[in-house]
Amino acid sequence: MARTVNTQLLGKIKRHGSGGRLDVSACFNCGNCVAVCPLAEDAAGFPRRMIRMAQVGMEKELLASEDLWLCYACGECTQTCPRQADPASFMAAARSYAIAQYDFTGLSGLANRSAWGNLMVFALFSGIFSLLLAAKHRAGAPDAPLFGFLPGEWIHSIGVALFVLVGLSAALGLLSMYLHVRAEQVRKGHVLRFSALPGALLSAISDALMHTRFQNCNAVEEMQASSAEPWYKRTWAAHAAVMGGFLAMLIATTLDYLLKPIGSPVMPWYPMRLLGALGGLVCLYGLAIVLSRRWRAEEVPWRRSSFADWFFPLLLAGTVLTGLVTEIAVYAPMGEVGHAVFFAHVVLAMDLVAMLPLTKFAHVLYRTMALTLAGWRRAPATEAAADAHA
Amino acid sequence: MNTKISSDFKPDAVVVGGGIAGLQSALDMADQDLKVLVVERNASIGGHMIALSKVFPTLDCASCITTPKMSAAAHHENIQILTNTEVQAIESGDGVHRVKLLQKPTYVNFDKCIGCRLCEYACDTEFRDRFEEGLGAVRAIAVPFTNAIPQKAVLDAEHCLTCGTCARVCPTDAIEFDQKPRRLTIETQAVIVASGFELNSVTLKPQYNAARSQNVIAPMTLERLLAPHGPYGRVLRPSDGKIPGSVAFVQCAGSRDESIGVSYCSRVCCMYAIKQAMLLSGALPLADITIYYMDIRAFGKGYEQFFQNAKAMGINFVRGKVARIDPLQGGDLRLHVETTEDAENPMQERVHDLVVLAQGMIPGWNPAQISPVACATDGFVATPSLTAPTATTAPGIFTAGTAAGPKDIVDTIAEAGAAAMQACQYLYQKREAALVG
Repeated sequence: MARTVNTQLLGKIKRHGSGGRLDVSACFNCGNCVAVCPLAEDAAGFPRRMIRMAQVGMEKELLASEDLWLCYACGECTQTCPRQADPASFMAAARSYAIAQYDFTGLSGLANRSAWGNLMVFALFSGIFSLLLAAKHRAGAPDAPLFGFLPGEWIHSIGVALFVLVGLSAALGLLSMYLHVRAEQVRKGHVLRFSALPGALLSAISDALMHTRFQNCNAVEEMQASSAEPWYKRTWAAHAAVMGGFLAMLIATTLDYLLKPIGSPVMPWYPMRLLGALGGLVCLYGLAIVLSRRWRAEEVPWRRSSFADWFFPLLLAGTVLTGLVTEIAVYAPMGEVGHAVFFAHVVLAMDLVAMLPLTKFAHVLYRTMALTLAGWRRAPATEAAADAHA
Repeated sequence: MNTKISSDFKPDAVVVGGGIAGLQSALDMADQDLKVLVVERNASIGGHMIALSKVFPTLDCASCITTPKMSAAAHHENIQILTNTEVQAIESGDGVHRVKLLQKPTYVNFDKCIGCRLCEYACDTEFRDRFEEGLGAVRAIAVPFTNAIPQKAVLDAEHCLTCGTCARVCPTDAIEFDQKPRRLTIETQAVIVASGFELNSVTLKPQYNAARSQNVIAPMTLERLLAPHGPYGRVLRPSDGKIPGSVAFVQCAGSRDESIGVSYCSRVCCMYAIKQAMLLSGALPLADITIYYMDIRAFGKGYEQFFQNAKAMGINFVRGKVARIDPLQGGDLRLHVETTEDAENPMQERVHDLVVLAQGMIPGWNPAQISPVACATDGFVATPSLTAPTATTAPGIFTAGTAAGPKDIVDTIAEAGAAAMQACQYLYQKREAALVG
């Protein structure tokens, strides 16, 4: 079967993330990165195989590799690369490129390529949500409760519409990824059994929640300065805190919406309130570790940060902080300051959701999908079928 | 201590380094009736080559080539040799080079010592022998090694307990505990820098765990294990003395790797690994021998044939850069490597009894700050002229061998001859100019 080569591929990838500063062309394909990787299993061959694909322009194959998403950016490959080609940053840039390719709106490419593009997309969404909210806000009553200032029903209507649109966009992105992977599987003659899919999905979700594979990435941290640091300061723990906190807030918000009349007063120990507040604090703890590591830029995976690398955790931190202040404002009214913070919180939270399929946040979708597909491909039944096919 | 040479001695040329490059240069100049002083910082001349077992691609015995050269230089009427002596500075001006030397005390008067070794036999203090890469032991006063030149005892002040036994047994009263370092300045017309190389440390890459396992060894250690007069007289692995059943060579472990600061190729590792693999298959006929390489650089005369012979002998060549070496319980080692042999299963973990890391060649001496000789960015002596490859940036100072960059023995000897020729030409032109003037 003919293969199409995109000669512009490497240049395009380099425009993503911190790619512009990395010299991945220096790679001479020795395979050190693969062999040193604590996660590369059997035929994975990453990052070397991905770099090779980028070097020779195999765009379809690159977009079809689940392996791109099985990397957790521990940085050991970059630490030990004989050519200092920075494979870890390349993988991050390639993931950013893939997110942009799976996204049909083209906004992701704009947001991930430059700081200005990122801010433009951010401003666009913030503008839309601000206008929508401002249309029904009630000004001039500083003592009004928060939902008196912004009607809860209106927020929820926008929210539901937003979730539907983002869900659609995410589904299209996932479909795009699946079609790429499927085309490659057909070309390679892989036969997959549907019976193996639920198991693969379950183990992908459990892996994502438990950080099982992520914890294998400790090798570099142990070798570097942070070896003296306790487990709760490790990268995987920080990620678990951010993710766990976020999920807690998401569950609290959803249950709040489903179970509680809008704007009805509850005490702070109301389970959903408590869950949301605790989730916010845990999430902030994780974000503080992540952001301080990026700021110090001492260890390999944190050394090269693009604007997009900063943007997502900062957006999340902004959402959580305004949320916590809003929480306080519910019980200790702050007048117009409270209203402003609440307004900002709603806009930021909507930005966060709207930009999910466009930013680094999209790894939630694609990594889970990739883990599932990889698990599916490696399921024992699949191998037997492939052998029969061969 | 050799006291015959004083600052009054004005040789035509000074050769820095008494390895195979320096000796060849010195002999070639001395045969042209020029007076040459060879300065060597170690206790014996011979350099790295005298410690090798055999050389590629001929598998000739290294000692059998080096010892006659050492001996010829030592007995040449036009050559003087100063061992245990370091060059501290070279000051050049008006066509004259003033070479400032520091002669370190050996605590043995070389004029009196007859090399009878009675002191060595009587000495009670033993420590790890650096010549045997730490595998054997050496006494605190000893002739450096069997075929060392000069055959004079040298006392190691670091380990000596100053018990006085050696002084009591010495038949010629050569032991001088009160020796002091001696500084002297030699005026000369030409200098050849043949200061050779060092190997970077096997512990540079923490992923290779050489610091945690005695069985991750340096290639010079294997040379000594393979040498007929080596520490054990046979190949045993250091941790437990087991006869290794499976030996791995990890190539590019110290070169072509920017993460440890050596981006260049050391040019000899492929060939010596193949040579050592061949010698090993002779010494251990039942052993599996694997060479992990990125690409085999067999560029010299007869080298490709040598490589093909090794493959035909059954030595395994596996393309792939070893990324990690895990020490296992019991002393074996597990290598992680991505290979290209099996496209379906490129990720391999292989277990070996003994692992040899191909270290990188780095400069043995840095003349940049202390002489008019400039070094290139890689640290080796700069040789800017394409048509005069042994000329340095300083007129009248030439270079040869691995001081100018990584190279094998064949190229080193050829270059040493070229440097001698260029130095002679330089000296004769100066003499002619002086006569005309």
